[in-house]
Amino acid sequence: MGNSRRDTAIGHLDADCFYVSAERVRDPFLCGKPVGVLGNQGACVIAKSYEMKAAGVKTGMPIWEAMKLCPGGIYIKRDFRWYEVLSRRMLEVMRTCSPRVEYYSIDEFFFQAVPQSPGMSLQDSALAIRDRVAQEVGVPATIGIARSRTLAKLISDSAKPFGALAVLDPEAEASLLAERPVSEITGISGQREKRLLPWGIRTCLDLARADRRLVRSLLTSSGETLWWELNGEPAQPIRANRPLHKAISRGGSFGETAVDPAVLYAWLVRNIERLIEELHYHETLVGRLSVWVGYNDGRSGIGQTTLAVPTDRFDQLVEAARSCLRTAWIPRAAAQRMHLIAENLHKREPRPLGLFESATEHNRAEAVAKVKRQVNDRIGRFALRSAATLPLKSIYKDTSNGYDICDIRGKTCF
Amino acid sequence: MCLGISLARTELPLELIARHGLDRCAHARGGEKEIQFLFRDRDPRLPVWQDGQLQIMRWGNSHGQSRLLPRTGWTWQETIDSGGWKNLDAVPVDIPASLGFERGVWYRIRQGIRGLLVLDEQNSHVVYMICEPSTHYYRVMTRSDRMPMLIDEQI
Repeated sequence: MGNSRRDTAIGHLDADCFYVSAERVRDPFLCGKPVGVLGNQGACVIAKSYEMKAAGVKTGMPIWEAMKLCPGGIYIKRDFRWYEVLSRRMLEVMRTCSPRVEYYSIDEFFFQAVPQSPGMSLQDSALAIRDRVAQEVGVPATIGIARSRTLAKLISDSAKPFGALAVLDPEAEASLLAERPVSEITGISGQREKRLLPWGIRTCLDLARADRRLVRSLLTSSGETLWWELNGEPAQPIRANRPLHKAISRGGSFGETAVDPAVLYAWLVRNIERLIEELHYHETLVGRLSVWVGYNDGRSGIGQTTLAVPTDRFDQLVEAARSCLRTAWIPRAAAQRMHLIAENLHKREPRPLGLFESATEHNRAEAVAKVKRQVNDRIGRFALRSAATLPLKSIYKDTSNGYDICDIRGKTCF
Repeated sequence: MCLGISLARTELPLELIARHGLDRCAHARGGEKEIQFLFRDRDPRLPVWQDGQLQIMRWGNSHGQSRLLPRTGWTWQETIDSGGWKNLDAVPVDIPASLGFERGVWYRIRQGIRGLLVLDEQNSHVVYMICEPSTHYYRVMTRSDRMPMLIDEQI
């Protein structure tokens, strides 16, 4: 490692099986046991301990398959409020370890890697950061330090669990890249991986050694960015602040299937109310809305609409989303999940009324929205909500449904 | 419905383990020993806190040992509230548990489960597990419409 490289080194911290580790912080009984954290209302394993992973359980697996593979597994309900507490504690620690930190996701951070004390090597610094996080937060994590973000992430992936590795020598990088399949690079999987195969690009090293123009023609400019990164040239900056959203989405799995249109409509309205909260927080209006519905037989439907004027008004969004749902709905099919996607976002500022909008109607809607926000701020989230959500009484009764991973703000990724 | 519970072996007094031969029900999970109490056992039993002491008692009346008591191991909270156990001088008790078991799924229990203790006609203690309608989450996780009434916890 040359000294000239020290200023440009980038670190990646990835908490090891974060949700399980977070549960173990407050419940040591779970330590050393096979543990799975359940999401999707209890239907799927969204995180598993290494003990459960060794039994063959994979993230996203339905609980009914997981319990066959790991009969002794212990299942826990996810609690994003608690996970956020620990995630922000990790962020605080990282900000004392580095002058620039990106809050990438609930359990991953990119950071400018600097020696943790004068003269300390970056390898020893990686170990020191890992140990500090473990000591101060109680969560085991793996640290990778490299010349670029993509390399740092690949290195931390290869050093898991509870590893700390700084690789800044190009030769050492090359031997590491040669061992990793190209699909391990974030942003390359599925179709993009297939596009590379005819050119003999199978490993990360194959991609790094490929002709840059070929990579650009196969994977567009985002692929070229990865090529630069794999060759040790940082092309993706560390973003200490979250850039503005291009789209905001709300939704997820129902846990159980829904055939009844009233239940489906209730989910739609619930997701609209969650979306409006987020729009209000970001002071943003929606220009285009999509409703996607997934069915348990593998089919899906999508409805899209462009709004006459950008809006965050409940009545207008419900009207628009209802027509989208009609398109996305497959009669008698059992729906399993729904996503509402708001795009073409506009900054919220005073605007002229639309051609068919009346000032009285607009002011009334704004006043109702304000009262709704005030009541919910004071009494609790969803205390005042649309009566259309009544079929989901049991969902609202469970307070853990009141806070999801997408409610954790400031992350640059999902 | 909860078809069984598990309790860390360290939570049970050694004397109690020896007296009731509980090591026959011992299993290891992640290197730690636990005692499992399952309703399908030939002689189903449960640990119960009574008068500040942990005791092992008969779980329900599955084999019809009593002609007086219902032939089950569970009772609805609603049945208790409506006076269904009034004539049997039933008393509420706590059943300590680290894990609950339902249709192949083990789930974490932080404290324990509410129970109801009665005497049969031979003056033997019999404990019933109290249950309530499943939450949406519990129903999806276990596919059961009944869930145990947990102590200071809702899942």
